[in-house]
Amino acid sequence: VSQAFPLPSLPRKQPTVLVVCGPAQNGAIGLVCARHLRIFDYEPTIFYPKRSPDPVYRDFTTQCEKMDIPFLSYLPTEVQLINDAYNAVVDAVLGAEAEAAEGREPCAAILATLKHVRIPIVSLDVPSAGWDVEAGSSGGISPDVLVSLSAPKQCARRFLGRQHFVAGRFLPYDVQKKFELNPPEYPGTECVVALRAPR
Amino acid sequence: QEEAQAIDQELFTDYKFSVDQLMELAGLSCATAIAKTYPPSSFTTSQPSVLVVCGPGNNGGDGLVCARHLKMFGYQPTVYYPKRPNKPLFEGLTTQCQKMDIPFLPEFPAEAAVIDELYGLVVDAIFGFSFKGAVREPFGSILSTLQRITVPVASIDIPSGWDVEQGRADGLQPDMLISLTAPKKAALRFTGRYHFLGGRFVPPALQEKFALNLPPYPATDCVLQLT
Repeated sequence: VSQAFPLPSLPRKQPTVLVVCGPAQNGAIGLVCARHLRIFDYEPTIFYPKRSPDPVYRDFTTQCEKMDIPFLSYLPTEVQLINDAYNAVVDAVLGAEAEAAEGREPCAAILATLKHVRIPIVSLDVPSAGWDVEAGSSGGISPDVLVSLSAPKQCARRFLGRQHFVAGRFLPYDVQKKFELNPPEYPGTECVVALRAPR
Repeated sequence: QEEAQAIDQELFTDYKFSVDQLMELAGLSCATAIAKTYPPSSFTTSQPSVLVVCGPGNNGGDGLVCARHLKMFGYQPTVYYPKRPNKPLFEGLTTQCQKMDIPFLPEFPAEAAVIDELYGLVVDAIFGFSFKGAVREPFGSILSTLQRITVPVASIDIPSGWDVEQGRADGLQPDMLISLTAPKKAALRFTGRYHFLGGRFVPPALQEKFALNLPPYPATDCVLQLT
């Protein structure tokens, strides 16, 4: 997020970012992301309607709350309110592991709203729902920025947005080789690498 | 020392951070500071070989995480970990290193000259800020050997063997110190070339509560060079 939208470049006076977190692992990653955004001096706000019972994820929630990151009690359906209040939205609703049936509500309603926002969307790992992990599809969120975790997923081929990053610099070499991942080289000690857009 | 322990307590009890989370961020900071200061290209050994000496507690755990990230950054770390706690956290970290082909030495190099020959840098992850009292073996002999090597030593949080507040004039004098969370009192007596701050996870409210007055980290970096 900070590479795609550096603090000095933000259009709004306050460096606000809305982080929308789904009920499973993708949502938990969103919580961790929000915490680091706060440390980086952004002003994240979280919308986390369906909280995971997993104790590790509950602790992530506590860490955010104790860092004075506000949690919205509802997502405005009036899209203009979101456009006006935030510089960008982080879509941490559903990940690659999500099945079509999982968490239908409130995810479906959230995604319906997010489809219409005009501020940039950063999707974590895969653009949430509407996208089949393998095939990709239209009808869902079209993010400006995609952050593929560990390695790009099949559906990333259909990504049409501005910037594609790979993050999650922790894959041991033998795992990379075993799954023939051929990940790009990370520069120096960076934990994020921008992929060149395919011509 | 008490203040550092109090901050840790609050991070775990009130903020509900897990030891794993903070140790991962701490170890990553150490590897990052090392990579910025001693890049692989600067090594005179044929490979950028680093010896990571891990003690029996959390400082050792930080060392294991650091070794793993050094491997990801292109170094060839080797670990010496003689006293391993029987806890899943440390067992997990050890396995992660082993599965990444990071060798674990069965014994500590007998002489300083051997270390100088084989490695371009030593990471001291033996004792941290909870250290009190006398240095137990095998660490006493290890530390005396480390005092005789000529390759640089990077200490995690506190140069091992130092009193956490007073330092130790006749103890290890590392080239680099990576203070975690905030510098400890002993850091005032640090005489090496490079002092970094790492462990960029202290919430602003906690920084204020303990009046840490930490200088700002650059951008999204996880380390800050103090000297």
